[in-house]
Amino acid sequence: MATQTPSKAASSWTAGIRRGTDGIRRWLNETMLAGRPLIWYVTGWRFAVIALVVAILLPLVPTSAYSDIQSLLVAMISVFVYIMLALGLNIVVGYAGLLDLGYVAFFVIGSYTMAAGTYGSINDFAGKLHDLPTLPFILLIPIGAFIAGIFGILLGAPTLRLRGDYLAIVTLGFGEIVPVVFANIPIFFGQTGISATQPAPITTPVGIISFTDPFNHAPFYYLALAVAVLVTLGCYALRSSSIGRAWVAIREDETAAEASGVNLTRTKLLAFALGAFVGGIGGVINTAAFPSITPLGFSFAISITVLIMVVLGGIGSIPGVIIGALVLRLFDVFLLQRINDPVHQSFLVAPVNAPLHVLANVDFNTLKLLIYGIVLVAMILLRPQGLIPDARRRRELKGVGAAPEGVSAVGAFEQEEAGMSAATTADVLDPSEYTGAGSDAQGREG
Amino acid sequence: MAQEQATANSPTHDQAPSLLQINGLVQRFGGLTAVDGVDLDIRKGQIYSVIGPNGAGKTTVFNVITGIYKPSAGQILFDGTQVAGMKPDQIVRRGITRTFQNIRLFNNMTVLENVLVGQHTRLPGDVVSALFRLPNYRRAERRAEQRAIELLGFFGQGMIERKDEYAANLSYAERRRVEIARALGSSPKLMLLDEPTAGMNDAETADAVQYIQRLRREFNLTILLIEHKLQVTMGISDRIAVLDYGKKIAEGVPAEIQRNERVIEAYLGRKAAVE
Amino acid sequence: MLTLATVMIPASASPVGIFFQQLEIGITLGAMYALVALGYTLVYGIIELINFAHGDIFMWSTVVTLAVIQAMGITASPGPVKLIGLLILLLAIGMLVSATLNYTIERFFYKPLRKAPRLAPLIAAIGASFILETIAQLWRGSSFVAFPSIFPSVGITFGSVRVNLLDVVIVIVAVVLMYGLERFIRLTRMGKAMRATAQDPEAAALMGVNINRTISMTFIIGGALAGAAGVLYNLYIAQVWFFTGFQLGLIAFTAAVLGGIGNIYGAVLGGFVIGLIEALTIQYVPGGFAWADAVVFAILVLILVFKPSGLLGQQIPNKV
Repeated sequence: MATQTPSKAASSWTAGIRRGTDGIRRWLNETMLAGRPLIWYVTGWRFAVIALVVAILLPLVPTSAYSDIQSLLVAMISVFVYIMLALGLNIVVGYAGLLDLGYVAFFVIGSYTMAAGTYGSINDFAGKLHDLPTLPFILLIPIGAFIAGIFGILLGAPTLRLRGDYLAIVTLGFGEIVPVVFANIPIFFGQTGISATQPAPITTPVGIISFTDPFNHAPFYYLALAVAVLVTLGCYALRSSSIGRAWVAIREDETAAEASGVNLTRTKLLAFALGAFVGGIGGVINTAAFPSITPLGFSFAISITVLIMVVLGGIGSIPGVIIGALVLRLFDVFLLQRINDPVHQSFLVAPVNAPLHVLANVDFNTLKLLIYGIVLVAMILLRPQGLIPDARRRRELKGVGAAPEGVSAVGAFEQEEAGMSAATTADVLDPSEYTGAGSDAQGREG
Repeated sequence: MAQEQATANSPTHDQAPSLLQINGLVQRFGGLTAVDGVDLDIRKGQIYSVIGPNGAGKTTVFNVITGIYKPSAGQILFDGTQVAGMKPDQIVRRGITRTFQNIRLFNNMTVLENVLVGQHTRLPGDVVSALFRLPNYRRAERRAEQRAIELLGFFGQGMIERKDEYAANLSYAERRRVEIARALGSSPKLMLLDEPTAGMNDAETADAVQYIQRLRREFNLTILLIEHKLQVTMGISDRIAVLDYGKKIAEGVPAEIQRNERVIEAYLGRKAAVE
Repeated sequence: MLTLATVMIPASASPVGIFFQQLEIGITLGAMYALVALGYTLVYGIIELINFAHGDIFMWSTVVTLAVIQAMGITASPGPVKLIGLLILLLAIGMLVSATLNYTIERFFYKPLRKAPRLAPLIAAIGASFILETIAQLWRGSSFVAFPSIFPSVGITFGSVRVNLLDVVIVIVAVVLMYGLERFIRLTRMGKAMRATAQDPEAAALMGVNINRTISMTFIIGGALAGAAGVLYNLYIAQVWFFTGFQLGLIAFTAAVLGGIGNIYGAVLGGFVIGLIEALTIQYVPGGFAWADAVVFAILVLILVFKPSGLLGQQIPNKV
């Protein structure tokens, strides 16, 4: 790495933007809900309680069948899937500090497990169909997760010795190859793709619950919510376990971790496998909800989108990652359509020289990717710790001590140069300011 | 039994059985030979110092013993088993632990978490018990936390009070202490300290000397030390080895080393020239 | 690569002919890969960053030179004299566009992260790549746009092996640029500064090398080479697409790693080797088209696992 001190000019533009965003920061700090700053509600157990209550109540909003609330529920199912994916990637990137750019591969594997496990037949290489026993959906969740986890180990085993950036490229390659494999072997119908059979209705004392009723998406919504909650709980449990500590330790300093008795290979593989495991669950749930899949629908863009969710929310921070996934996915599947269609329709009949007519030709889905790219770069340059940084549980409980926010997120990837921007990063949403400790992260040099 | 008796009676433990035996250790990096045929014999209960000018290969010896490097040649016998070529975590499991010259704490973890990582080898590492927080797992975690607090308590109540502080926020001397507490977590038999008083003032140095001696006593440890401050090494070491250009040029009790012509020439002479 | 369909040869040729024809294709492809691979290797050599956006820097040359040719209203081959002028013009524009873009991205995205942990600039580079791709997509749409065939389809046939004049021109242009780079790095003051910075930036800075200027220059040179490759690619494959850079970038990165990242001779060697492997895969692996990318990736993984230093790279000593 070049080690010359960056000239004033080199960092002045990021510093300038930070000064510019001070206003937003003040506004957010002063924005109060029931006498509390906004940030108070998105840290620690309060976040968990509030999020869960809102999520449980959402389908109970009185509604007619075709109203927006039903399409919101559908969107939310997808949100839950992406929360799982983001949490899974967070294990790999956030905890263990391994950049995985091919995370979509495990999503694909989970998706195909669900589809193949419920479709009922399979193609051989000669193009002949064979019957395949179908399995119940509830069994396919662990099966998909395990298969994905095994692939995580298979990919990780030979590559984890590599340096971080090489690992990123190899995983990227894997993410590209897996869909190509599914597209080019006939077993699962190649490029045509395959359709899963959606979960069968279940009979309960209160009546039959259908997961496929187009007028009532609540059952599937609750199912996806439950799985997402389980995954979240699992992530919390892992993070506070000796495994979680070992992950963070290798992220912080591999040599010191090894000298403390952490087995690097095993610990990294475990992160890879568990990240893949969660990705597999996400794939199964997603295909159960949206049953038609084609291999080429699983693109690099998905890997990157999930990575952006993690970076946006705060690398390593569970509430941050959940909010990152919620914001981006809702924007994507709910809001974007509501912007896209009216705008395009409104210009269908408008004269070409009408103001803003240029918008008629804008593809909002592409525009979205552009915004994602800008968000990714902006976050890494201006606020590497994410919107809701990984505020550790003890500080939340006791309100003592301040984390070195500036180094906590990306700085945590590799500790060679922890001094990155600890002193200069504006803490837009620094929760420590409200826990009685003040923000001594502001003035400290790393 | 008779031997055990001798250990206790001899002030320099040189009658005690060997704990770490290094024979003909060679470490090459490309064309450079950093360690060239070093032999060391460290007895149970000793404080054994390795000294030498900068670049003499001291830290490299540490890195080889702890498995960071695989030696190019030579034997390392710890408690009678060959550990050369083992991975660092396997070596930790066998009972060797270390600190680093440039203190390597996990800065974004709390003091307590740092010390808990040190106990990694003693905790259940399987996913199932971690995910479901099974009773035995919870017990082990509770015990580990208690023990971490005890280890911090070795340095006084003040360190226990700092347990929830982030490692990055500690003072230099506190960082040293946390690193030692972390190293103690694996219940080691042998502790390698790489310049534990570097960067400390006289009062802090005196304090460090005192706790190094207490470490041996209270944890029944053998200590292998790299130290630049001669008043420290001469004061606390049972035996001293001197390295220069990767070779051992002298070995003996402190008084012998102080008189040794080659040591004075190679070590002090050059040091004087640098300063 | 999908777009290679355009350079496939008829199946009627003899087996030996087919083999040599694929070699010819492989060398031509390899020349372009080598140019792009050089950009990866130069940047990695000097700041240890995988410039993820490099493939898109290449793609932007293809997009802009297409816009230029469309603006000029050229749809077919002009006369020989005009063609040479046009080629020089396109090369100049392509190289300028890519060099400027690469410089700008370094200045605004990577430079503030010079002291950041390693993965931060890599993530910034991924973001930059995404931005470059989507702007191109917004501008030119999501489908392929044909680049007019301005080069006459003349060539010589040896038996069943056809060597087009265009292929010869591509290889010559690429080789001239590579030779120029080699001379530049060996002989000029800036070239020496680049080598010194790659070895030890701190020591180089102490010796009076302006590190920031040297790094900027590296990005400019790498960008210019990718820009030239973009123009050649337009002439050869003649399909402009926003996603080309991603695919070709990964292939070129593989080439750089194969040769030994950081080593310019390695990048050239790797480029040609990968070009040949790809051409032969397409011919000899059943359903080779679909698998060409997968084969390249498999090679990448194998090299990284078994010989991370590549064919010509040096083993980096392990520092603790």
